[in-house]
Amino acid sequence: MNDFNPLRKFLDTFFGPLRSWLGIFILIFLFSIVVFDGMVNDWGRASQGLGNLVTFFNESLWPPDWSVLEPRAYPVCTVYPTFMDFTCSTAWIGMVETMKIAFVSTVFGAIISLPISILASRNLDSASFFYEYLTRWNDGGIIFLLVSTLSYLPRFLLAAFRSLPSIIWAIFFVILVGYGPLAGVLAMTVYTVGYLGKLQYEAIEGMTKTPLDAAEAMGLTRFEIAFKVVIPECANDLISQVIFMFEYNFRHGTVIGIVGAGGIGYYINLYLKFLQYDKVIAYLIIIFVVVLIIDFISIKARSYFTEDIGLNRPSWKSIFLPSSVNK
Amino acid sequence: MTNIPKNIEPIIRLNDVSIGYKHDKPLVQIPNLEIFPGEIVAIAGPSGVGKSTLLKTIAGLISPISGSIEVCGKTIPDSPKRGKLGYVPQSLGLVRHASVLHNVMLGANAGHNTPIPFIGVCLPSSFAKKKAIQAINSMGLEDKISEPIRRLSGGQQRRVATARTLAQCPELIMADEFLSELDEKTVGMVLKEVTKYVKSSNSALLVVEHDITRAKMMADRLLVIDDGRANPFITEPTAMEVKL
Repeated sequence: MNDFNPLRKFLDTFFGPLRSWLGIFILIFLFSIVVFDGMVNDWGRASQGLGNLVTFFNESLWPPDWSVLEPRAYPVCTVYPTFMDFTCSTAWIGMVETMKIAFVSTVFGAIISLPISILASRNLDSASFFYEYLTRWNDGGIIFLLVSTLSYLPRFLLAAFRSLPSIIWAIFFVILVGYGPLAGVLAMTVYTVGYLGKLQYEAIEGMTKTPLDAAEAMGLTRFEIAFKVVIPECANDLISQVIFMFEYNFRHGTVIGIVGAGGIGYYINLYLKFLQYDKVIAYLIIIFVVVLIIDFISIKARSYFTEDIGLNRPSWKSIFLPSSVNK
Repeated sequence: MTNIPKNIEPIIRLNDVSIGYKHDKPLVQIPNLEIFPGEIVAIAGPSGVGKSTLLKTIAGLISPISGSIEVCGKTIPDSPKRGKLGYVPQSLGLVRHASVLHNVMLGANAGHNTPIPFIGVCLPSSFAKKKAIQAINSMGLEDKISEPIRRLSGGQQRRVATARTLAQCPELIMADEFLSELDEKTVGMVLKEVTKYVKSSNSALLVVEHDITRAKMMADRLLVIDDGRANPFITEPTAMEVKL
């Protein structure tokens, strides 16, 4: 009997792939295009964008005005030797301030986030951590209620700190403490606690369970498990994340100055207001170069804390050159 | 089987215990089991039958599906007193980025150091450190004392896990295939040290051993877990005879 079914053949040919993951991805992509199309009412504007960019680039952005690297008129630069006088420039002063904000907020954020992330990690069973202590004072139904609330509190805190971008925190702290790096440090610290805390508790939750099993069977306290088993076991990941966070904070530190929270963003905002885009692009190029350098240093520094020490560590050459060139 | 005086309390007592991860599908059913001080009991059986799960259940890491388990005088889910139970998991459970001494000190602190109330941290103890160094030396790892675990071979890591448990001086040692990856000479050395500790301190050793010949050689009693569901747990009193 010939069971050839042309409709089935047609469906298998055109819709067979939909049964696979690829089909699902294609469907999601098509859906995103439909959603995008629903938001845009005039596609003609997109075609004008490239022309606008060329005009803007030629008339306002290029060439960059490198006077931002020259010493400020006031206060008078007294740096000697004179070729070092760029350290009196707004670009240098702003960049150093941004770096200081990033450094201080990363250190403060890491110190605050570590205990919170330990309490937030589900594999460390923070509920029993609280329970262990609270039952010493009172053992009853209220303790269960309190413990179940407290076990969610660290995650709630981290999510709350992370839910606002650092620039919104910066606006908030500028209102509270006024313009300057203090607002920047506070804003970046709060954001670091939220972001780094999440990275840290995910690293802790990703660790193998057997050291915890062995420690629990031995009867170690929650504190001993956290500080003698978990932190040493995850130390490489945690340190690597702190270095990444510094790099991240530096990049974001350039933005928070726009709202008055210190750093190079203050000068960018200043020149944006005066429509001096050639100076703005000079700052952006400087930021780009410094971010690249920090990124490269971060790759190298993090390689000291990755798994197979000494085996896969990148050389300076391999960081700066693409792998195809670096053979 | 060793002759146990009648008035001696067992270190482990299992009554009608079913264990496993799913309540409707118990892996192993154990009608009755008692392990006494000074005994070495080996659990043998094919892979995936539930030997390691039994060890985890006795260690209090998994709740039994039914029945009661009493370990070192406490009924699960109550944990035995700190340091009474030493556990060497199959994948060892070592802190890989820390040194050999740090890992063995975990056991030594659990066994010989009391944490400060309300804080849960132990102050440094020279006695615990002395015990840890003794255990490391007994495993022939004195030249590796400051090495991080990740730089040691699989066999050396097994010896560190054994040293951690010996430094703890527990009443019950539970070891999951702790002799695998070791050469014959090192097996002899490790086994000698562990047996010496168990016999001298009147503690007990419950060991999962894949190699049935080795299990018979080391154990006073051999417990074979079969694949069958009805009554898969068989006590085989011939182990001592084989050993003799």
